[in-house]
Amino acid sequence: MLTTRPHLTTLRPSPTTISYTVSTASRRETLRSKLFHHILLSLRIILGLATLAVLLAKSLDEFHYMLNSWLEYIDKAPWSHVGPLSFASFFLVFRRFHTEESLLTLRSLGIQTSTLSPSYLLPSNTRFIPSSQIRDIFIHEAFRGFEVRHYLAVVVEGEGEVVVVFPKLLPGRAIVEEVWRGARECLYEPKD
Amino acid sequence: MPYNIAMVSDFFFPQPGGVESHIYQLSTKLIDRGHKVVIITHAYEGRKGVRYLTNGLKVYHVPFLVIYRESTMPTVFSFFPIFRNIIIREEIEIVHGHASLSSLCHEAILHARTMGLRTVFTDHSLFGFADAASILTNKLLKFTLSDVDHCIGVSHTCKENTVLRASLDPLMVSVIPNAVVAENFQPLALQKNSKLYSYDARPAPPPPQHLGPHDTITIVVISRLFYNKGTDLLIAALPRILAADPHVRFIIAGSGPKAIDLEQMLERRVLQDRVELLGPVRHEEVRDVMVRGHIYLHPSLTEAFGTVIVEAASCGLYVVCTRVGGIPEVLPPHMTTFAKPEEDDLVGATQKAIAALRANRIRTEGFHEQVKKMYSWTDVAERTERVYDGITGAISEEEFYGDVSGGGWSATRGRAGVQSFALIDRLKRYYGCGIWAGKLFCLCVIIDYLLFQLLEMLAPRANIDICRNWPRKGGKSERVDEEGDEATPLRMARSRASSRRKGRLR
Repeated sequence: MLTTRPHLTTLRPSPTTISYTVSTASRRETLRSKLFHHILLSLRIILGLATLAVLLAKSLDEFHYMLNSWLEYIDKAPWSHVGPLSFASFFLVFRRFHTEESLLTLRSLGIQTSTLSPSYLLPSNTRFIPSSQIRDIFIHEAFRGFEVRHYLAVVVEGEGEVVVVFPKLLPGRAIVEEVWRGARECLYEPKD
Repeated sequence: MPYNIAMVSDFFFPQPGGVESHIYQLSTKLIDRGHKVVIITHAYEGRKGVRYLTNGLKVYHVPFLVIYRESTMPTVFSFFPIFRNIIIREEIEIVHGHASLSSLCHEAILHARTMGLRTVFTDHSLFGFADAASILTNKLLKFTLSDVDHCIGVSHTCKENTVLRASLDPLMVSVIPNAVVAENFQPLALQKNSKLYSYDARPAPPPPQHLGPHDTITIVVISRLFYNKGTDLLIAALPRILAADPHVRFIIAGSGPKAIDLEQMLERRVLQDRVELLGPVRHEEVRDVMVRGHIYLHPSLTEAFGTVIVEAASCGLYVVCTRVGGIPEVLPPHMTTFAKPEEDDLVGATQKAIAALRANRIRTEGFHEQVKKMYSWTDVAERTERVYDGITGAISEEEFYGDVSGGGWSATRGRAGVQSFALIDRLKRYYGCGIWAGKLFCLCVIIDYLLFQLLEMLAPRANIDICRNWPRKGGKSERVDEEGDEATPLRMARSRASSRRKGRLR
């Protein structure tokens, strides 16, 4: 329910720029998934605000009167319990359940690969490879766990290992081939 | 009818050897005949993952633990998930295992039968029946061969051995010998006028070589220096051969655990100036070593076929070999002198061969042409293809097995040779393997079947990508996928090939 199979989104603002994004985020097409998404979002907000409130109440003396009546046990609970619990709750609130990886190709400039981090707080992991350093882009197969997967990789000049595009998701052959075709077309000037 | 074939064996390049080159040559020729072939082997040092060889031959180097002489650990089930994945993504129809010491091959045959595929097994070696290791191997062989569609032996001796070891019906074992690429093993004289040779004009017979009584005769030995290759016999016989004739030299190539014994003997007898040790030699250099000699000595103690003596004869060498295993079947009598696998007889046979060469009684010039006519990989591929036709039912059983009017087929068989995949029929076949072994094997097969069902649920077929085939030569693009324009797979293939050179997945 939280994630789907990897799907591809293509963005082409100009003939010389193309961005491919592979994501496992739910596409929210049906009413059910839309509803689920909104419920989840509101739950997260409520959980985040509640945790914030508890932390404020415990740390600032002015709010003690709030706790007197119906949440006395929070006041009594030691920090060694409240600390980890609120940490876990913040972790859940800011946790990104889906994975999203993208490849941005700019003609005569280069390509940028990026992987979104598993938390909304941390920055995404990006890498830019200037086109002068790109030797080749290819599709190959490799063992991963108990299966053989197709992967798209970029050969960078002066590096012993190739840079794998979409390293976490490793989408299937259909997606990888489409990205490979588009990226090559965009990266290199068409030969007339 | 083109088939999709997977060759499975622990033994493949970069390791040199007879089985390895057999698999490679056979696969190449089968691809030339329009089939699709992939090879599944374990990972070697620096060779892991998916590789392509010449002609679009795809090799899967599966990462696995190696225990002894490049054989993997026999774990029975752990290979199944990866194997199933490869079989599905390559759309394999026939699984062809090689070499009885390869546990990867046995496991693959078991899993392939569970998955409902046709299986063939090629045996490349002979085994005894008496010692503990042989008994264990034979039991294992009986296990996998209880439910195999067809077997191939590389010589009649090998067939007999396999039939006895695995209690098979002799009709389901074919004999298809090894072959040599005669072009790679030309004698010296032919190499010189190789232009003539390539124009396919019949080359003028090279002038016969005349050896006087005091000319030096060089004896070549090329083999891995293991016990079963007869290195001990060589160590014993070598000083006596050298002592009997002062004009004899030895060239020994190869490496192995017995190399130390050999070196020690040479040092003790101070024979270094008459014996040249070359160490390990690459397969493409073998010819250059062979043509330096006149006689090829093959002291092996057990040998199913002995490709190397065919290569030696093709290079125009007179062959002295032990009369063991399938060796007597390999070459016609005028090319060889046989000896019993013992010291005295080997020395005697070598001396006889030296005397015959000195008396110019042996015409080695014609050997190359004769060997070329006898052995070719194209022929091997054609005969293997016929086996595939037989097991898939493309040719009738009368045609495949000859006259079967006796009808001695067991009840567990649906049609002769074309065995049914039903689990109960398979269990019947395994149950007869022995009082305890039969039950154990049945248990293994049942677990394997359950594992297969589990995998079908955990990793459904729909989620496994079917991979593209290597583009066919000559514009026949019948197997190119639906959406691809014809140029695209080609380009992709090229860039895949470049990946082979450039790097690996992290």
